[in-house]
Amino acid sequence: MDARQAARTLEVIRTLMERTCQYQLLTARASLAAGILAGIGALAFLFLSPDVPANFGFVWLIVFAGSVLSTCIGTVMRGRERGEQVWSRQARAVVMALAPSLFAALVLTIYFFIRGEHLWLPGVWMLCYGQGALATSAYAPSPIRWLGVTALLLGGVTLWLGPEWAVLMMGLVFGVGHTGLGTALLVIERRQSYLRIHRSVA
Amino acid sequence: MNLLPVVKPVNAFKRLVEDLDPLLHERGRLAIVSVLAPVRELSFTELRNTLEMTDGNLSVHLQKLEEKGYVAIAKQFVARRPLTTCKLTKAGQSAFGRYLNHLEALVKQNRGGKGA
Repeated sequence: MDARQAARTLEVIRTLMERTCQYQLLTARASLAAGILAGIGALAFLFLSPDVPANFGFVWLIVFAGSVLSTCIGTVMRGRERGEQVWSRQARAVVMALAPSLFAALVLTIYFFIRGEHLWLPGVWMLCYGQGALATSAYAPSPIRWLGVTALLLGGVTLWLGPEWAVLMMGLVFGVGHTGLGTALLVIERRQSYLRIHRSVA
Repeated sequence: MNLLPVVKPVNAFKRLVEDLDPLLHERGRLAIVSVLAPVRELSFTELRNTLEMTDGNLSVHLQKLEEKGYVAIAKQFVARRPLTTCKLTKAGQSAFGRYLNHLEALVKQNRGGKGA
């Protein structure tokens, strides 16, 4: 064995270790779809008034449901593509890590809507989202960690800026943020498929 | 005329290679240990699916690792179905750690040699 072989062996070991504990069925396409949906959601308020709770709730509910749906479809498709189990041990770990922040977001959403202060929700959602993303970062690709940190920081900024900035910050964090995540995942996917082709040829 | 005996310098690189654990220095077994290292335990099926190995091949490698005390295999029944789980023992963890250190040392030594 020479040093180059040793380095390559270390790389393979790292990949295998990541494969055991990382949830790798999250697709770039799903993240890009979520980003586009959030962008459209923010743009919808050029025509709708965000001050009306029904408008605000309906638009972001559609964005959330669409994002979850695109993630589910993307995950199932990727699982079939790779011949991997969708509801795997890693998937269960990710869902368990996400559950507390999802529950907190749900409770706070109901609370703020009841009080008629729904325009404070974007900051709250970003904080919950950031916390959830960081909770899953041990099992997820590294760009998730950066999205989590960014969402936490911008969540604080959004609450500080106040309700006037709510829609713009939603578009920025969830629209631009998910598009950035999707692009990063796309780069990772391309690199991994290049490595697979390279290895299969070798 | 050189009266001193010719002494071949000790090849540290070669010594490092020779010190690599022979049991782990096999692709299949190294892959098994790498997959088991970051988790508490894995079922035989999960291990087989992750590594895309055949049942026979995986069984043979696991048996060798178990004989050396690197892997503990437990067989039980869950909902009337047999379930085999595998986990890395403490001896396996330290052997894997030593193996990784050796590989890192090999890479570093080569970098040092090139730099000199």
